[in-house]
Amino acid sequence: MLVSLNWLKEYVNIKQSPYDFGECLTMSGTKVETLTIVSDVISDIYTGKIIKIDRHPNADKLVVCTVDLGTDKRIIVTAAKNIYEGAIVPVAVDGAVIANGTKLGVSDFRGIESFGMFCSIEELGMNTDLFSKEIMEGIYLLPEGTPIGMDIKELLWLDDVIIDVELTANRADCQSIIGIARESAATLNLPMEGFKTYSKVETNNEIVQYLNVTAESDLCERYIAKMLEVKKIEASPLWIQVKLLNSGVRPINNIVDVTNYVMLELGQPLHAFDYESLHSDRIVIKTTNDKEMVTLDAKERVLDSSMLMITNGITPVAIAGIMGGENSEITEATQQIILESACFNKSSVRLTAKKLGLRTEASARFEKGVDPELAMVAAMRATWLLEEIGACEVIEGLIDVYHHPVVSKKISLDVAWVNGFIGINLSESEMAALLRRLFFKVSSENSGILEIEVPSFRQDIEAREDLAEEVARIFGYDNIPSTIMGGTTMIGGKTAVQKYEDDLKSLLVGQGYFETLTTSFTSEKRLLGLNSPMPLDLVPLINPLGEENSIMRPSLVGHQLEVISLNYARKNPFGRFFEFSNTYRKNEAKDSLPYEEKKLVLSTYGNEDYFELKGMVELLCAHTGIKNPSFIAGGSEFLHPGRRALIYANDVVLGEIGEIHPLVVKNYELPKRTYVCEISFTALYESGTMEEKFVELPKFPGSNRDLAIQLKETIPAALVNDIIRKNGGNILESIELFDVYTGEQIPEGYKSLAYALNFRHQERTLNDDDINPVVEHILAELKSLLNAQLRE
Amino acid sequence: MELELKQLRDRCIADLNDVNELKILDNVRIKYLGKKGELTIALKGMGKLSKEERPIIGKLANEVREEIEKALSHQKQVLEKKEIDARIKEEVIDVSLPGKKHLAGRLHPLTTTINELKEIFLGMGFSIAEGPEIEWAKYNFDFLNVPLDHSARDFQDTFYYEDDIVLRTQTSPVQVRVMENQKPPLRIISPGRVYRSDAIDATHSPVFHQMEGLVIDKGITMSDLKGTMDMFAKKLFGEQTKTKFRPHQFYFTEPSAEMDVTCFKCGGVGCKVCSNTGWIEILGCGMVHPNVLKICGIDPDVYSGFAFGMGLDRITMIKYGINDLRLLFENDLRFLSQFK
Repeated sequence: MLVSLNWLKEYVNIKQSPYDFGECLTMSGTKVETLTIVSDVISDIYTGKIIKIDRHPNADKLVVCTVDLGTDKRIIVTAAKNIYEGAIVPVAVDGAVIANGTKLGVSDFRGIESFGMFCSIEELGMNTDLFSKEIMEGIYLLPEGTPIGMDIKELLWLDDVIIDVELTANRADCQSIIGIARESAATLNLPMEGFKTYSKVETNNEIVQYLNVTAESDLCERYIAKMLEVKKIEASPLWIQVKLLNSGVRPINNIVDVTNYVMLELGQPLHAFDYESLHSDRIVIKTTNDKEMVTLDAKERVLDSSMLMITNGITPVAIAGIMGGENSEITEATQQIILESACFNKSSVRLTAKKLGLRTEASARFEKGVDPELAMVAAMRATWLLEEIGACEVIEGLIDVYHHPVVSKKISLDVAWVNGFIGINLSESEMAALLRRLFFKVSSENSGILEIEVPSFRQDIEAREDLAEEVARIFGYDNIPSTIMGGTTMIGGKTAVQKYEDDLKSLLVGQGYFETLTTSFTSEKRLLGLNSPMPLDLVPLINPLGEENSIMRPSLVGHQLEVISLNYARKNPFGRFFEFSNTYRKNEAKDSLPYEEKKLVLSTYGNEDYFELKGMVELLCAHTGIKNPSFIAGGSEFLHPGRRALIYANDVVLGEIGEIHPLVVKNYELPKRTYVCEISFTALYESGTMEEKFVELPKFPGSNRDLAIQLKETIPAALVNDIIRKNGGNILESIELFDVYTGEQIPEGYKSLAYALNFRHQERTLNDDDINPVVEHILAELKSLLNAQLRE
Repeated sequence: MELELKQLRDRCIADLNDVNELKILDNVRIKYLGKKGELTIALKGMGKLSKEERPIIGKLANEVREEIEKALSHQKQVLEKKEIDARIKEEVIDVSLPGKKHLAGRLHPLTTTINELKEIFLGMGFSIAEGPEIEWAKYNFDFLNVPLDHSARDFQDTFYYEDDIVLRTQTSPVQVRVMENQKPPLRIISPGRVYRSDAIDATHSPVFHQMEGLVIDKGITMSDLKGTMDMFAKKLFGEQTKTKFRPHQFYFTEPSAEMDVTCFKCGGVGCKVCSNTGWIEILGCGMVHPNVLKICGIDPDVYSGFAFGMGLDRITMIKYGINDLRLLFENDLRFLSQFK
């Protein structure tokens, strides 16, 4: 929200520099984002009156003006068209600097010297968005009666500092000059000035001859109507316009400007209707079945029956709390106005504004919550202003529909509790004083308990903790000591599974794998690239950010492929990646959240092969304490049918591994050989044993036997391995496959597997008589089960 | 005999001196000292000597043997050294040639940040709590004191799976679950993935990461919150770091604050990293709201506590000077390999 420091100073005598003041406000809870001077470049521009306009003897398009600056009269040559004799305009004298940084001198215009120039709003450095095209394009004409010779910066508040404050959601009361002024006064411990309101003691309830108001919906919490007779609709006085401009609001005419002025000043949105075009003597606030209406901005709005409308009994004339209707707009011809100062339910305004896609200054304030008590003050303030500036005369009487007046909240506050909760040590009177600075009514009788009455504008204060915060922030968060927690000593630390995950990450990093971070979203389109049947238990979002992010991913594989595709496209020649992340599946059980399963995915490309990746998986298994995981041909359809395997620890499937299917390679624009492995983290963890026990080192030497076995190519090595192990007895210590050979000397369709077997006995040295029978038994089994031959 | 022995010795030494290869040194040994060696044979002739001569010759024989052995061992050393010298000369390498590549991977910088934060809080007796990312709306909003009509619940802000199931917008639901299921005292942190319906740009992502912390015990004060957060900031950004607490508002806490730290880059003077303010906003925190304690079955008259939360992606970006959030999710190796 934009706050004019000059306007603020009308309420609080702020003496600090703008920067220091901003810091103070920030530290008491009103965060100052930026401080900006309206127009900090310009200098030496003054108000001047054009006394005489003569034709330029040598140029048709130029005129020669005699300008009175109070201290001197000077000649200014101009091509401007919107000037006239008697006009008061901003005059940049020679030596002046205009907004774009140009320094002016004396110029010769076809033989006549000009000692300055007239300025447009752009040249003054004002916000061009806040003026009509007509005003923007000409010289900025100042109102009649503007003092001559005055520094334009002072007149138009161009040296004002605009404070952009970030308000928290709970402080609806701060959405106004007065709100920020209250915070400023409390923060700086200064008194606050009041403001004038219409206070005439009225004798005639004249208004009832014109109007009655009915609120048919509880969504209207209060509705005040005041009527005024229009004297003249014209531009507002400069002092009103300037405050609007410095608050980022466009001046329109005196009546509309006053409603905006009071909204900015007090935080109460107001609306003015043209009484005549109401075509009724009634205002009824209700929800209606109307389908559309045209709002003040000339746009047609689609309505529905949940929206609260201001009607003339039949036709809507405004959308409550959001925007008025074009049908009851103030025009040049308006003779009487109805001034509405109301309070509407904040949720209702929020939902309606959302449905209409129409957020206005008014709706923004109602959404946060406006104090119903404010409506009366604001109505009286606006009435006073309209009368003061000569825009209207007051029609006596007032309508106030206010079914459930707010009751002021009373809270008892235990001083010792506040001190204990915050960790400070204030006396009862000190605490009472801090709260009084914030306009709380505090009664303190040295009992240790403060009786607090919460002002109506502080709708956010509900409990003692809220008051504790008020005490703390005015006392200053910086003044609260920093202490080390007492209480119970706690050991804390990671759980076994948390440590395990860290361990695996270290292991992977040590083996050259890079950890990736990918988002959790995928989509049917993205999943289609995997050439696999669409899973039936997907978790789609109701309101995703686009199709490509519409489903919670069921697998981590697709994202790894995207990572590899990106790296490959960017000419990174090789890569190894991993990620631990959740995957998501639908849960059919009632009242249940979807399943979330943490998985580990590995992927590699460039100078890699299936066995490199498999080796990594075996290392992970070994690290987990999983002995002899098995890799059995098979797996998902995104994998190469001849190069894929399911990974088992005993009977538990841990995951799958393989080379990416050539078609998927094409879909994802991957390198020709890409490998991936996805493992269930939970299954992996649960299949292992973290137990680490020392095993005595062998005391007796082992003995090696190398066997080269020839068998059909299609028989998996794992089968051979199993048979050897099963028949190796308890002296077979280890089996290592050290060569796979096909080619010369081996018949077509056969392969040779070379194994190194190591035998060892724990209590003695083995000799040939121990080993040979075992080897023969193994060979016999291999022959009978697989028809495998020993190669001599 | 005496002469014979002396000649034998001289021959042997001459032979030894002629040897220039370690391999054939042993041949000399065998020739003289072996079972059928010259000295051995000579000594066999000792039997023929007279009683008087025998001890004298015996002594001489021993002396000769010792001399030969000594010479043998000396020559062995000389030859070994010669051989090693030759080998060393042959094996000179250009030590300036590049080493063989050992490729280590890297943790993602976000993980490194999380690890660092975890270590700080684990050292203060915190445990790490985890919870579902797809969460009941009541845990994500209601139990956290978020008003029923708050815009955070809107479709524009929060992803919905079902009417009452959302993608958590904060890791606070984990705190609720811990408070419901465990008795105070509690000290937990909950790092994790969270979701908000923000389009991706340099500073926003619909998927991001937060770490929240929670302490509940008897007598926990706001000054404890300040002290703990201040210590955390000093550990993360260095001893010289100063902190500033600004009042703020969160539904979950009351009183609430935002904490700024002095810019670690410029030390508070003002620079690009801190947009010339000297301060960097790092976390939100506050005293756990009594409504939240009550909902979770904890009596606010007996217990109090504080909570804090910070954006991990943001801290990672600040820590490493990363200027675009999208880089974190892109996984270009040239990016990933920059971090330890």
